[in-house]
Amino acid sequence: MSNKKVSEMKIISEVNNEAENFYEDAIQLGDHAAYALKAAHRSQVTSLEGIAESTLKTSDVFDYIKKQTARFPYWREGFPEHASQGLGERLLKYLEDDLVKKRDEICKKLGIGSQTDTDKQKRRRIQLLLIRQFIRQMAAQYEFRVSLVGGRNRGS
Amino acid sequence: MLTTEQLLKIALLTDTVLYPEAVAFIRQLVNEEESDPLPLSQVNGLLNVAASSKYSELYTFVVHQRDRNWPQSKADIKKFCAALERYLTNMQRRRLKDEFHLVTDGLNGSDARRESEELMAAMAYDFIQHLVAENDLLDKTTRRR
Repeated sequence: MSNKKVSEMKIISEVNNEAENFYEDAIQLGDHAAYALKAAHRSQVTSLEGIAESTLKTSDVFDYIKKQTARFPYWREGFPEHASQGLGERLLKYLEDDLVKKRDEICKKLGIGSQTDTDKQKRRRIQLLLIRQFIRQMAAQYEFRVSLVGGRNRGS
Repeated sequence: MLTTEQLLKIALLTDTVLYPEAVAFIRQLVNEEESDPLPLSQVNGLLNVAASSKYSELYTFVVHQRDRNWPQSKADIKKFCAALERYLTNMQRRRLKDEFHLVTDGLNGSDARRESEELMAAMAYDFIQHLVAENDLLDKTTRRR
């Protein structure tokens, strides 16, 4: 097996491990999304997932969140436990700051530097993989939460 | 036509250089120089020009906007365009070659100019896209007047 292949497998494995660690954070953001967007704005979450899955640039995801936050008041809505931060601001901060720290930890573990273009491309890819995992988990929790609320409303 | 290698490099630069610089660019104007965020019509117009024109046309548009005789109430637009013109000029004259290493060595004059135009079109579009997103966000939180 080539070094390149081993490295790729290690990257995926480390990203998956990290995804286990940030699961609780994704649950919280998913709950916040359900509270702010409700079932009525499901397309906001599916579009976010679509962009994260299809883009090659992390900045495309950040730009999307900024534009939606500027455009729609529900993206600026707080959450009872996080009243000071709206959904978009909170999600952006997590993806831009917290996940970068997790990316740096993975890179350190795998010996990926930050000087050559090859290493910079790897770092960028790891960040994108982390963002995709996080948004997938968050979207799953959003769906779960809005389905519960929808079920209660139908039952009442 | 840009090579795959150049396009990959531009994607990397977009995430690691252009995005943080676009955020800093807008925040500098809004937070430190006390400008208002640009009206959405202005930034969307700029983005449309960046998306549909050659780089030389985009640059001409920015210069034209900078040199227009804006009323005092719209002086922030002039300030924004002046700063953007400086940023783009610096990128084309210096950074493309010396910092980003995007320029192909050994091209003749016309090929070098064509490549520079294509590189600048791609880089400027990405930069302006990030500017627009950050500007829209700040517009909701910091408009002064």
